[in-house]
Amino acid sequence: MVSVINSIDTSHEDMIHDAQLDYYGTKLATCSSDRSIKIFDVKGGQQTLVTELRGHDGPVWQLAWAHPMFGNLIASCSYDRKVIIWKETNGSWGKLYEYQNHDSSVNSVNFAPHEFGLLLACGSSDGSISIISSTGDGTWDAKKIPNAHSIGCNAVSWAPPINPGDLLDPSGRHQPIKQLVSGGCDNLVKIWKEEDGQWKEDQKLEGHSDWVRDVAWAPSIGLPKSIIASCSQDLRVIIWTNDGNGWTQKVLNKFNDVIWHISWSITGNILATSGGDNKVKLR
Amino acid sequence: MSLQWSGEQVVAKFPDVQANTMAVDCMGVWVALAGRRAISMVNLKKPKEKPLKSARQSKWDVSCVQWNQVPSHLNLFVTAYNQKLDLHSWKDSNITSLCSMKGHSRTVSDVSWSPSDPNKILSCSVDTFINLWDVNDPRKPVRSFQTVSGAYQVKWNRLSENMFATTHEGELRIWDIREGTSPVQYIAAHLSKIHGLDWNPNSKSELATCSQDCSVKFWDINNPRQCKGSLNPGSPVWRARYTPFGQGIVTVVVPQLRRGDNSLHLWNTARSNPVHQFVGHQDVILEFQWRKQPEGSVDHQLITWSKDQSLRVWKIDSQLQKRCGHDMGEMNDSSENESSQGGRESVSQNSMHENDLETDHGNKDFQRQMSMSPDSVVFQQPQTLEQEFELMNTNIPHIQVEELDAVKRTCSVSAVSRNFNIGLRMQFPENYPCSEPPTFEFLESNLNYDIKRQLHKVMLDTALMHAKRNTSCLEPCLRQLSLALNQPYNFRPEERKTPDPEPARPFNLSWHPTKPPYNSKPSYMAWHSPSGLQDINIPFPRTSGARFSAAGYLVVFGRSHEARKGPSGTEITPKALYDLTDFASKSRNRYPPKLYSIPFHQNYSISPPTPVAENVSISEWYMYRPKVTNQPKGKRKHRPKESTEVKPVLAPVKIYDSSCLLPIQKELGKNYIIDRSNIPAMCSHNAKAASAVGRKDLVQLWSLVALTASEKLKPQNNPDDELPWAQHPFGKEMIKYLFDFYMKIHDVQTLAMLVCVLWDRENAIVPPPKKEKASLLPQSTSMEYVPPNMDNPDFLSSSTDSGWPLTSHLQVHSTRPPPHTSVQSRLPSQHHLSEVSSHPDLANMTVGVLKIRRSNSLSCLEDSFEDYRIEDEEGIKEKESERQAKIHENNCRLLDPSAQNQYDVFLMSYADILFHWGYTNNSKLVLKFMTHLPEPHTGIEFGVQCFHCSQDGRGAKCGSCKNLAFNCSICHIGVKGNSMFCLKCGHGGHTTHILDWFKENSQCPTGCSCRCVEAKSEITM
Repeated sequence: MVSVINSIDTSHEDMIHDAQLDYYGTKLATCSSDRSIKIFDVKGGQQTLVTELRGHDGPVWQLAWAHPMFGNLIASCSYDRKVIIWKETNGSWGKLYEYQNHDSSVNSVNFAPHEFGLLLACGSSDGSISIISSTGDGTWDAKKIPNAHSIGCNAVSWAPPINPGDLLDPSGRHQPIKQLVSGGCDNLVKIWKEEDGQWKEDQKLEGHSDWVRDVAWAPSIGLPKSIIASCSQDLRVIIWTNDGNGWTQKVLNKFNDVIWHISWSITGNILATSGGDNKVKLR
Repeated sequence: MSLQWSGEQVVAKFPDVQANTMAVDCMGVWVALAGRRAISMVNLKKPKEKPLKSARQSKWDVSCVQWNQVPSHLNLFVTAYNQKLDLHSWKDSNITSLCSMKGHSRTVSDVSWSPSDPNKILSCSVDTFINLWDVNDPRKPVRSFQTVSGAYQVKWNRLSENMFATTHEGELRIWDIREGTSPVQYIAAHLSKIHGLDWNPNSKSELATCSQDCSVKFWDINNPRQCKGSLNPGSPVWRARYTPFGQGIVTVVVPQLRRGDNSLHLWNTARSNPVHQFVGHQDVILEFQWRKQPEGSVDHQLITWSKDQSLRVWKIDSQLQKRCGHDMGEMNDSSENESSQGGRESVSQNSMHENDLETDHGNKDFQRQMSMSPDSVVFQQPQTLEQEFELMNTNIPHIQVEELDAVKRTCSVSAVSRNFNIGLRMQFPENYPCSEPPTFEFLESNLNYDIKRQLHKVMLDTALMHAKRNTSCLEPCLRQLSLALNQPYNFRPEERKTPDPEPARPFNLSWHPTKPPYNSKPSYMAWHSPSGLQDINIPFPRTSGARFSAAGYLVVFGRSHEARKGPSGTEITPKALYDLTDFASKSRNRYPPKLYSIPFHQNYSISPPTPVAENVSISEWYMYRPKVTNQPKGKRKHRPKESTEVKPVLAPVKIYDSSCLLPIQKELGKNYIIDRSNIPAMCSHNAKAASAVGRKDLVQLWSLVALTASEKLKPQNNPDDELPWAQHPFGKEMIKYLFDFYMKIHDVQTLAMLVCVLWDRENAIVPPPKKEKASLLPQSTSMEYVPPNMDNPDFLSSSTDSGWPLTSHLQVHSTRPPPHTSVQSRLPSQHHLSEVSSHPDLANMTVGVLKIRRSNSLSCLEDSFEDYRIEDEEGIKEKESERQAKIHENNCRLLDPSAQNQYDVFLMSYADILFHWGYTNNSKLVLKFMTHLPEPHTGIEFGVQCFHCSQDGRGAKCGSCKNLAFNCSICHIGVKGNSMFCLKCGHGGHTTHILDWFKENSQCPTGCSCRCVEAKSEITM
């Protein structure tokens, strides 16, 4: 069965808000209310602290690793309204870029599939979503979706770089469309699409009766449908499915406490949910 | 028993008194604390004394206690327990039970003495009766008032002697004892249960009710339909009582809620906003009452009794009274100074609750006389330094008293915490404590100058403040120091800020330039100085989570087992960060050494005043614990000091191997081989690999694939020879079924491997993007078997439907007429037939048909029909056979080419997973089978720096100056065509010129001394 292969005592001074393994599963990054981010080398069962990144002035909410083709990059977002992208160069970690264009706590960061380039989406309590992209020569460009969620945006997740509709369409290959899903305090799950360089709202999924805490677009392994999971303060987890005929919702489960994080396995067959009751459930 | 004072309160702790209710007598001298085991009497003039106890022999708790309101009978008090009322007299330190009154059939919920008649008591119960008793005739009630629902509260009107009010759930009833047995007024006051009721002391028709519905409402009994006003404290209100001055009201939340709010709030009813918060109790406040003040006293006192077994006396000075709308006339400025100074001390005093509990102060007296309230407790002030040293409570967090030398008049202390190591010496001048503060000297420290200066200032300020009043200051100074060290953000004790709190200062990083202090907790509030309310929409922090890592691991982080679910226990985790800050502000006194943030929405004062820029941390939320009661005293003493500190409640981050839950196997990713040249061998190898990891289904699959791909079943080239195996039920159909199955279980590994084995992209009929070409293969038939030589109307009709001019054409001119002519004649379209008949050239009838049909789609060919036919005769034959071959080829396929994009995605997903696992070579191997290979790298492109304007550009012409960018170094003319240049120096020109030049020379023609010919070998491309 599922076995513990490593247990890392992070010695953070305060609650941990996120822990993420990198692409290869060899490095673990954790972030905490103590404002720090710690990176551990966990290769082969070891647990060596590689670095402690300090630069946020508030609790750090979430982390995201970039695809290794861009180097060892990690993005963090914090209560201090900042998004920082950290980079490892020659074994030492440092700030690569700091994005400060949000007016409230930034709650979620997520790197786009590498096919789209180095692209980072950030959701903030000021209601907006920022899409930060690297032009490759060290300059960064940011597009903002203002007022994406009226009270605040709590989570963002990118769609896989595959358009399920094209899978069974033999007429050539289409350029995948950049899409992302977001959840917010307006109880909505919204799907955004980039058209001609502009981000537009594509879908608005209504189903939750309280704040949406997290959204996760399931990875595509080639099935001709899109699947999104969302979890909410209303204790429910909803699976949204689109097989080409519009989105349908199905309540996966109603839990006893708030579910604030959901995560798909790489094959998209298991969903891990975790919430206020300090329990993790897989299904 | 210990006693402590702070600027605005007297705190008397009675750890051995178990009382659940309290009453203050009408002269403000005695406090009765009633519990199940005993009734204890505390003299407010000497609160430090041990309470006088009188044991009770009862198994019932006292539900309420009340003193007689009439001064002539002030020694009488009544207690209610179970169904009875007991009348007691308090005389000469003795409680004498006078009589017992029994009339209720259920527990008495409330009693009320008449404010005018010393003999009359009202009692009410949930048995629906309200009884009026005369203490002279205790056998039965004088009057009984019955209602349909139980009564919870009863209160005599303070001014109108015959009137009283009772509460029944959300309803309020007003009675007149002269008016028979039915109420004179009904007021539907609240939607949920009314917890408390109070008559306005200044108006006989006004009263206030407070309720579970989180509101306090004001009523005029003459106008019962309309509520006069309301307050919304935000949580259910247990009691709301009018202040004896101004238009104030004091509220306390329902104790059962245990929301961490152990404070009282003082409101100004006229402005319906809170003006003050009384903070200090470490547990819920069970009862509060006003103490009657002697004539001429400016201040009022509020007595509170809390579950933390401490009795506190809160002084309401003229400033506060003024804020409640009490017009004092002349204001004494000094009183404000006094109280604010007192406030500073109270912060420090507050930080020692726990320690004080442990140490029995016994006879120790504290430093200051309460000059403001002459009749309140008088404290003895240590007169000499020696005395002060003796009396000092050395139990100060982080501070170790090294030496106290009364002769040299010095005191040495050291402060050690994780980040600090300070040695400090205080020198007390001769006149101390009279108007001269001690001097402070840092002996050793690891702090920089700035911090030392700040610390010095903090202590000196405290010392000066005390010196001004000629009071001793050693302990307050040390406590300030301890506090300052504990709380790195803010050394300055804040001034009392009412009503505009200063925006919190952000954490100053320069304070610890290299390493921020470890015990610094982030201040959630500090970042939203203008509006802390923004936290309302910031989600509550996640403190646990599970994340699938792409490489098959599951990372789980969470709280440790010690961490509770939060202070509220069973409740759902709150949604907003605001709840946390709100909670923190309420529970700040849970952990005395630490101070917590005050939400910015609380724009009112708090006693004791607290610094604004405080910290709150998520940890505290989870480490909140109800107070440990009944712990043996001795045990407590040995508890380490740090036990009150919040420890991080982190569980280690665990990485789980979740791969067993996934339908894919890392082992297989490593061991699978892909070898198209020898499929049976590959299959048997892979089958072995699958059996090694226990995937029996895959063993079957691979043997099946081996059979399917075996040589015997290889399709014949001639479509007429036999049906291709793919068309067999165990061919394409079975593979399709397998694909569906593995798609269902998300086994992308198997899917990708199947694609690798079975998918042949080489001759895949790629539907071209252009429309005419696209129609070469009918889409609708792609999944079907199309027998190449058989007459198939479906096939034809589908092809004609898709507008197939070329194919129709081919059919017409086919050299194998029988099936096609029959097809022609069987063409269902009546329209075509009529056209055929109308055609003049009957010999060319079928051609005519073709022509007409073609004219529908390709009208441009209509006129050149004859030529067309002649020209295409041969080519058409070829194309026909080609088409047949293609159809056959398609039929031979085990995988449907129309889903080739999907196959690509399988491959890509699997390659990505292999990449995650670190099998990069295997990953690339898988990607080789993709139909649509990613765009190949275009290689190096040489840029040109324009000869004329020096701009970088591409191509022959410069983008900015429009001249030819590259100048030939031989002829000095811009190069348009072929060019040649040296990679090292970048010079060159027309190919012919350069070649000629280098036939004889080896150096650059420009004279840049570059040996271009030799340089060529240096650069490897």
